[in-house]
Amino acid sequence: MSALRQFRALVLKDLRLELRTRDTAIAMTLFVVIAMVILQFGFGTRETDLTRFAGGLLWVPLTFAAVLGVGRSYVAEREQRVLDGLLVAPVSRFVMLMARAVAIVGYLLAVQIVAVPLLGIFFVKGPYWGDLGWLFLACLVADIAIGVLGTLVAAMAVFTRARELVMPVIFLPLLVPVVIAAAGATHAVVGPNDMAQYRNYVLFLVGIAVTFGLVAYATFDAVFDD
Amino acid sequence: MVKAYGARRALDGVDIDLREGETLAIVGPNGAGKTTLLRMLATLHRPTEGTLQMFGHDLPDQAQSVRPLLGYLGHDPLVYLDLTALQNLELFADLYGVPDPRERIEDLLDQVGLLPRAFEPVRTFSRGMAQRLGIARLLLHRPVLLLLDEPTSGLDAPGAALLDRVVAGGISVVLVTHDVERAVQVADHLLVLRGGRVRIACGTSGLDPAAFRAEYEREIA
Repeated sequence: MSALRQFRALVLKDLRLELRTRDTAIAMTLFVVIAMVILQFGFGTRETDLTRFAGGLLWVPLTFAAVLGVGRSYVAEREQRVLDGLLVAPVSRFVMLMARAVAIVGYLLAVQIVAVPLLGIFFVKGPYWGDLGWLFLACLVADIAIGVLGTLVAAMAVFTRARELVMPVIFLPLLVPVVIAAAGATHAVVGPNDMAQYRNYVLFLVGIAVTFGLVAYATFDAVFDD
Repeated sequence: MVKAYGARRALDGVDIDLREGETLAIVGPNGAGKTTLLRMLATLHRPTEGTLQMFGHDLPDQAQSVRPLLGYLGHDPLVYLDLTALQNLELFADLYGVPDPRERIEDLLDQVGLLPRAFEPVRTFSRGMAQRLGIARLLLHRPVLLLLDEPTSGLDAPGAALLDRVVAGGISVVLVTHDVERAVQVADHLLVLRGGRVRIACGTSGLDPAAFRAEYEREIA
């Protein structure tokens, strides 16, 4: 059995389900847009320079959107009772995890394609648009960390009775270092344009992503083991 | 084998031995441990005590070697409702590494009478049609052992007839059912469970169905 073929099939399946149902990425995007609009009104008018809060203004809505998206990531398997079909197939649990993590990263990137420009429109004064590449790089690394951790926690939640509590009680606190580093990287680019600081935050995010990946690799079999 | 959930023993000292091409039917009342046993054979549960060996592999440690040989069908077809019939079978063909999947998929969809609906989402299917798609998924990778949990629940007449042909086709089968008459009819061996324990274990060769039914009623009473 080719792990690559299985991985591709699982990612394609998530993509097809999302394209047909449109109930995760669109809900996340709407949530972030609404949250940023509310923040914009809450903080004041366009005349107020909120550049130094840019990291928080971007990553607080994104964090809650991630909780929303990750929480929905096993809904189809649970509600349509497909999980047994996947688990009896000769698929490495790690391949299942990575495929689902890629889907979550895809959802988050789709949200960020809207949210990152909104940050510039609503909150940042001064140069912004030239730094989009750096911002998206930080987003991508943070998304990978969120995707891996989120998949692991969401899989645990599938087998938990109080699964709706798992996301806010377990996932959210574990996301704190990711949010701190991602917000720091965003601020470093948008605010003082301190690339040394940006690089440190991004490297920290890479370290978190690798750590989460290793934890997932070591534990994911046990998550699906009764 | 023993399977315990805390203090409660869902299976308590069950011992089975199935050879190639044989059919074992597991019968018993609700809560007898039938599905738990089948899920252990499907590598979905691990025994709390005891050993389980399939095709020469120890489970659950070598489950990955056994899974390609198993076909599992439960009460549900185990397919995504928002994918089409074709997309579902393509997914499972990739997961099982089926060679030339398109040809195999079309053949199976034809066998289960769903070829004209191949491009429609399963959500638009009736329960019986979805379960027939489940049969196609079950057979897609040419399994050596079928694990069937009440497979006829929700299955329409053509689907039930197809499943009967598959079971009668010489493949090894473990069948969980409430239907004692059907179990006697299709199986080589019968296992009656109650409260997680084996009450009757016997072969069907020369078995008097009426006498077995009477004994079954006594055991589960």
